[in-house]
Amino acid sequence: MLLASRQLVKHFPLKGSSAFGNPLMLKAVDGVNIEVREGEIVGVVGESGSGKTTLGRLLLGLLKPTSGQVFFDIPDNVLEEYDNYVANKDLKKAADIEKEYSIFNKRGDMQKDIRKKTNIVFQDPYSSLDPRLNILDIITEPITSTGYLSSNEAPKRCFELLDEVGLPRDFAYRYPHELSGGQKQRVALARGIATLPKFLVLDEPTSALDVSVQAQVLALLRRIRTTHNIGMVLITHNIAVISYMADQVNVMYAGKIVETGPKREVILNPIHPYNVALISAVPGKIVKGTKIILKGDTPNLVEPPPGCSFHPRCPESFNVCGWTSGEVASDLKYLIENKYADMFKAETIVSTNANGNVIIRNASIDQVKDLLTLEKDKTRSLTAVDRLSESAEGVELWLWLHQAPEMYQYADRLVSCFLYAPQDEKPSSQTTKP
Amino acid sequence: MDQTLKISDLNVQFYTRRGIYRALNGVDLSLKQGEIFGIAGESGCGKTTMGLTIIGLLPVNAAVTDGQAMFCGERDLIASFTKAGAGETDKFNLRKSEAVVKKVNKELADVRGSRISMVFQDPMTSLNPVLQVGFQIAETVLTHQPRSLAERKLARARATPEDTEQIVNLLKEGADEQAITKYAESKGLQGIETQVLNVWRRNDLGEAKKEKIILSLHSEKLGSFEKIVLESVEKGTSMPGWMKIPGISRAAKNVLLKEGYTKAIELLSMLEVPNPDKVVRMYPHELSGGMRQRIVIAIALANNPDLVILDEPTSALDVTVQAQILELTRHLKQRFNTSFIFISHDLSVLSEVCDRIGIMYAGTMVEVAPTDEIFNNPIHPYTRMLTRAIPRIEGSEIQGVGGTVPDMRKVPLGCTFNPRCPDATEQCRTKKPEMVEVEGGHFVACYT
Amino acid sequence: MSEAELRAKRWENTKLSLSVFFANKAAVIGLVIVMAYVVIALIDQVYPQLIGITSAGTLVPNFFSPAPSPPSLTHPFGTTYPGVDLFTSIIKAIRIDLAYSILVVAIGAAVGSIIGVISATVGGLMDEIVMRITDIFFSIPYLVLALAVGFILGRTLLNMSLALAIVWWPLYARYTRSQTLSTKEFTFVEAARASGVGRLKIMFKHILPNTLPPVFIQISLDLGSIMVIFSTLAFIGFITNASIPELGYLTSLGLGYVQTAPWAVIFPGVAITLFALAVNLMGDGLRDVIDPRRRS
Repeated sequence: MLLASRQLVKHFPLKGSSAFGNPLMLKAVDGVNIEVREGEIVGVVGESGSGKTTLGRLLLGLLKPTSGQVFFDIPDNVLEEYDNYVANKDLKKAADIEKEYSIFNKRGDMQKDIRKKTNIVFQDPYSSLDPRLNILDIITEPITSTGYLSSNEAPKRCFELLDEVGLPRDFAYRYPHELSGGQKQRVALARGIATLPKFLVLDEPTSALDVSVQAQVLALLRRIRTTHNIGMVLITHNIAVISYMADQVNVMYAGKIVETGPKREVILNPIHPYNVALISAVPGKIVKGTKIILKGDTPNLVEPPPGCSFHPRCPESFNVCGWTSGEVASDLKYLIENKYADMFKAETIVSTNANGNVIIRNASIDQVKDLLTLEKDKTRSLTAVDRLSESAEGVELWLWLHQAPEMYQYADRLVSCFLYAPQDEKPSSQTTKP
Repeated sequence: MDQTLKISDLNVQFYTRRGIYRALNGVDLSLKQGEIFGIAGESGCGKTTMGLTIIGLLPVNAAVTDGQAMFCGERDLIASFTKAGAGETDKFNLRKSEAVVKKVNKELADVRGSRISMVFQDPMTSLNPVLQVGFQIAETVLTHQPRSLAERKLARARATPEDTEQIVNLLKEGADEQAITKYAESKGLQGIETQVLNVWRRNDLGEAKKEKIILSLHSEKLGSFEKIVLESVEKGTSMPGWMKIPGISRAAKNVLLKEGYTKAIELLSMLEVPNPDKVVRMYPHELSGGMRQRIVIAIALANNPDLVILDEPTSALDVTVQAQILELTRHLKQRFNTSFIFISHDLSVLSEVCDRIGIMYAGTMVEVAPTDEIFNNPIHPYTRMLTRAIPRIEGSEIQGVGGTVPDMRKVPLGCTFNPRCPDATEQCRTKKPEMVEVEGGHFVACYT
Repeated sequence: MSEAELRAKRWENTKLSLSVFFANKAAVIGLVIVMAYVVIALIDQVYPQLIGITSAGTLVPNFFSPAPSPPSLTHPFGTTYPGVDLFTSIIKAIRIDLAYSILVVAIGAAVGSIIGVISATVGGLMDEIVMRITDIFFSIPYLVLALAVGFILGRTLLNMSLALAIVWWPLYARYTRSQTLSTKEFTFVEAARASGVGRLKIMFKHILPNTLPPVFIQISLDLGSIMVIFSTLAFIGFITNASIPELGYLTSLGLGYVQTAPWAVIFPGVAITLFALAVNLMGDGLRDVIDPRRRS
């Protein structure tokens, strides 16, 4: 395995929130396992706030994780052993493996070696090239600072690279502001492969380019991958680009991977509800399917929704996905006051009680039952109601306890959704205390 | 009024220290009422300049050297520009340009915001960060149609319970917008029809609740000052003179603004914003990107414009949010009879909402056709290469377009695309091709 | 594009920058005046005899007619107490003032910039500490510090410059710090890290050269301010040596005669003000050139 991450977590402290004690943390990446083979292009798709950019930086060691590991050039069997040690809590043996293969503990020459074998290409060609250096200096920087070649030999390599990316050799003496966007991006690419790395991260490499230029750059990328057998992680929000380029695809939402597998499956045959909505939202498909329009906005990463972080917007969520009494209560309140106003008395009040249940005052248990039956399919939070009881406070709604989904194997991919959990791993329904 | 906009032979150039950029070189465009027209093109093709020219927001160093933009068959929007720009095209006179801009601003003040409005790419900078969003919506109605606000409130005050009952009955019988309007006018209750219909069309309320709301729209109490303000606004088309006295004008404005907030809530619920009554009191930074863009669209639609120009409205938004906004645009098209111009570099986005698409390259319109035609039957070489370059989710092969966009200071002779066109002939290099209709509604500017 | 075309394009760019500067009439005037001052100083330094200065570096009193006399043919700017010719004295003083002002700004800028860049790059606790230190220095009134230094080390021009430099460096530290903070965010810094460049090298190779251009403008503007402050200190009598040609000192000489011989105060005073004004105008023009958002 060229690169593998295990339970990668990155939390950023929010500035100014640590009045006393613990500051609020932005959970940018929350437990990501990703694997890249030699010569493979692995796509990471997500919207803003999904954590994909942070993930890219972590995979190169540009950011230190809050917890978790990234291994480079680790044989498959060693990786398996590592997983076993961790599962069996054999921490010492696990630490030995970490010591050898982790990218985060390297110093000096070993660090330089990693830098030689990995690199990154950024999104914005305007800020990723130092405006004060000429192209020759920019491209030879990784060559000389990792010691890949001596400073005498470096310029020759630079010219080779310019040939490879399709730029004329005399560009070496120009400055970034004298190049167009597409040309700048080619320079960034040349710099990225200057030391013939085995692994490259590309963070939105063509998002700032026009469509016609983008096509050329993508074709170049594919050529480079094949010629040099470079494993790549391609991070982008443009699903069509991923579809064209990637072999494996990971879909991220709120800092977690929700679906991962071969491109054909994940993109053309999505199963995770978020992925389904995402793919359906892509404009301009040749075969137009029905569009699933998600309600709501991207999740709050400081306090992500409990259980499955997609549950508030998921059109297929059900009882254990993570509904809280607060969510159920506010949905009920809205329905009672508007859509079903004729069914209920004006004095009906919805609130939550100390048990963590929902209380409805001034309504009969039958009314509530009817409402639930009518609305259960459209308002998913109501699926979390297990049973009703009547008490002095009013009608009490008991909710199922929620759980967080694991990654479940489904055919040849992994999905993080209870809908696709194998039978023996389906969440056992436990309700709140009776 | 079938043609909302007809642009002929538009030529715009920019004076810069590095030379004269010819941004638009003879562009034609015709827009029918109620249609969504997409303008596609890559960076530097001039599409944004087109949008700005129509609404008259060109910078001081711009000059319109030729062309006409007939709006609703009534007036040429860029008349002052062209009068000034024709003639000396090489020298740049700052004072003269500033005077022209001032003149245009004055002339277009009555259309901008009311009959033509524009939505820009970045919602964060389009909204004023220190004003509540409801205020920003209310303000635009107050500025252009204060009378409509007065009418609304007065209608509610004058309506009797019998009136509202009668309206509910009409609605239950299936009366349409015209019938309700006629009824309202017959009872002197103009202004109540939009309020009633907006409530009736909501799909998040039960029928009984809707009835209840409509039945409550009567005999609203007015303070004596309020009454004076509203009635005098109702009489005239703008605010009367006495209301301009400093102390009084503030109070009078607030009376109308309050009603403006109500209208804002109406607009937002139509744009499917949840909890509109809370949202109107929020500030832009408290809202997400998709919500902000909805606010901007609400401001653009508040005065029922004839034309809305959208300049890359979804480029700054996520894919799923973009899908929401595009869906919204489709609904709006059915609801209002407004014409839209949708500018984008993303052909896929345009294919989702537009009726017709115009492809621009280097300041000229090279192909105009219905959306399906552009994708299934592209004729112009640039269009063909462009559609081939778009990556599709099905993973089909893509091919780039060789060469680079020409330097707009030295526009190529003849067809602007000829240096990069694989089928270029001698004629292409010397004479500029005209737009010819190849099939019904499909226009191309090419010799091949 | 061939080499020749590239060179032609670069020349076009340079011409463009120059044209932006020269479009600003006020800036050009400022430049001319500043150049004039520099030329005067150079002449006085290298070949004072050219304009008839026989004893450079000191004022020449004339005790036979100590009272200030009005401008005349022999004394184009008149004389001031005690019989010192203003024209030659001002020329001598310009050299001294310019030299010391440059010294102050150079030291302050050099020290401050380096501290600022390092502080912003390292960040964290060190950054906080450095910022609090600059806060302390900002709150020291330069007058008090100058007097203190003068009394400890002796009241010479050099010590005065030292005192001013001590007060001046925090400004540059702050300024370069904020520039560095924004430059740090550019992805070419991250790209350098990913390419294996060490942090120290990144600081000097990537960050420093990109933060300095605005600092140069600030330096040129500061020359004017420092000159004024310098003169003020001399004016209030900081220097003990009575025959150092210095603009502020010259002004103070004429102070007692301001009603009867106003030229004695006006000429040296104007010499100071004119320089400060010219420097400001020139700085404005420079800012137009360096700021990428120039008007076209």
